Amino acid sequence: MTGLVLVVDDEFGIAELIDAVLTDEGYRVLTAANGRQGLAVMTKDHPDLVFLDYMMPVMDGAEVLRAMVSDPSIDGVPVVLMSSMPEAMVAERCSDYTAFMRKPFKIAQVTTLARRLLIQSDST
Amino acid sequence: MSEDAGGGLERLPSGIAGLDIILGGGFLKGGLYIVQGPPGTGKTTLGNQLCFNHIVHGARTLYVTLLAEYHARMMQHLSIMSFFDISKIPDQLTYLNGLRVLHDEGLKGLLALLRREITTRGASVLVLDGIVSARRAAEDEQAFSEFVHELQGVAVATDCTMLMLTSGQGTKLTPEHTMVDGIIELSDQLTGWSAESSLQVVKFRGSAFLRGRHAFKITSDGIVVHPRIEALLARPSRPDTGISGRVSSGIDQLDVMVGGGLPASSTTMIMGPSGTGKTTLGLQFLAKCNEAEPGLLFGFYETPARLDAKIAAVCQPLRGLIDSGAVEVRWQPPTDDLLDAYGERLLQAVHRRKVKRLFIDGLGAFKQASVIEPSRIGNFLTALMNEMRVLGVTTLYTLEVPDIMGPTIRTPIGDLSSLAENLILLRFVELGSQLYRLISVLKVRDSQFDASLHEYVTSGKGLIIEATADSAQRIMAGYSNQKGGNPLPANQLREGHNLL
Repeated sequence: MTGLVLVVDDEFGIAELIDAVLTDEGYRVLTAANGRQGLAVMTKDHPDLVFLDYMMPVMDGAEVLRAMVSDPSIDGVPVVLMSSMPEAMVAERCSDYTAFMRKPFKIAQVTTLARRLLIQSDST
Repeated sequence: MSEDAGGGLERLPSGIAGLDIILGGGFLKGGLYIVQGPPGTGKTTLGNQLCFNHIVHGARTLYVTLLAEYHARMMQHLSIMSFFDISKIPDQLTYLNGLRVLHDEGLKGLLALLRREITTRGASVLVLDGIVSARRAAEDEQAFSEFVHELQGVAVATDCTMLMLTSGQGTKLTPEHTMVDGIIELSDQLTGWSAESSLQVVKFRGSAFLRGRHAFKITSDGIVVHPRIEALLARPSRPDTGISGRVSSGIDQLDVMVGGGLPASSTTMIMGPSGTGKTTLGLQFLAKCNEAEPGLLFGFYETPARLDAKIAAVCQPLRGLIDSGAVEVRWQPPTDDLLDAYGERLLQAVHRRKVKRLFIDGLGAFKQASVIEPSRIGNFLTALMNEMRVLGVTTLYTLEVPDIMGPTIRTPIGDLSSLAENLILLRFVELGSQLYRLISVLKVRDSQFDASLHEYVTSGKGLIIEATADSAQRIMAGYSNQKGGNPLPANQLREGHNLL
């Protein structure tokens, strides 16, 4: 399994957990602690998939999604938006994400989503 | 906002009624506070409750965790609380984690993050949960002191009130303890099988506060704090105007015995073993209520159904007064709540209806509720009764005593009889195959009274007391002969009962 995954989350333990799980699965993983850092990594390293937290300092998930759309070099990269809030509430504030993962999540959800979205992005 | 920089500091109410009373109106705006206590004492609940209470008024708040619960988990735990409103997240309440910034950029980075988030979001409350991580991340004590100092600077410059939550305990003098504007300590105390949570404000700059420990509970409404009644009422709420006059006890003959009715706004303890008619006497006292003189029955032992049956059996006139609202019945199980919660409820019920006649049935429940700190009960009742006096409430309360028979009486609650201004004793005397009931007045505030024993019977019209002491005299003489001793005069009974 190949692919570069970026995890953007201010919650230390969560970013570390997703990093560890996906590294075990054979992916390369980068992490960032806020939206701005995440965006910088995206434009530099062009990940194949992004796990993006919604509520973050400096720049939140909604702003990151808007910035991605306006940057052709990263527009279209699949994004798993993560939040403790229900999807309906998050969806009111942002769109253009590929999948939603409600926190707290299970490890199996992370691996399933990664597999599914990386295969899709391979095939497109 | 006040333009007067040197004037009174503005408050930020916590929205937790009891805590705001203790703090004299709430936190000070732009203040930096520590909330400390062992795990599980309710710090996170308190922090979140402050945020949610505050955003009701349209404000924005920030909850920043370091090494603390995961946000998703915290929200799941909070979702059962009535104050939790997910629709306010993230616009009015934003949860952020600062651990990674702390890890990568140190205290300077964390401070910059907090300052930026407060200013860009316009947050007027910041809760920093798990401050111990910041302390550990500091190179030395000086560095951490500087962090606290600079954070305090941000608080003042942004008018943002800050709470730092920490599991640290005790009064160990750390730099942050000396620097912050206030410290609230939460703790759990275990007595036997029961536990009671309490809160103590150990420091609060710029304002008076209610010192000492105050009990609290964590309920589905969040933290509910009950200010210690004796601290709350350390001074009665108004001056004692020394209301004079007399109030009927509800029994004409008893009024004669106490010297023309009970002194207005006084407290009367009715002591006696179970079954002597203490509650009946209290019901008769309440039956003298009317719209202008509302009454309250604050009862613990007789359930509403049993009370209804009792009223039907011995004090029918009270029924109509309850139905018309002239008398309110407040019943609570005696094992249900904290001492100060009972006190608070009693005060509220008295204030709400401007009660003038209060019957508490009985005092034993207060003692039961003070099991964690039995020495409190005396001060608690003194404070409560002083307040009743200044409010012009005439109070009757019952106290069950263990001895069923005989001239000597022991009370289960130390020297509480000294609290009552008037003392009435009911008891049984067994003579031959007959059981007699005797009533005597042991003291009446500032009054001459009839100290002799009187026989009484319980009837469908309540207690009926003999007009003279003659029959009681005969009974006591017979009792004494039966025991092979001398007749025991009433005044000797006073000395005989060893609580006075």
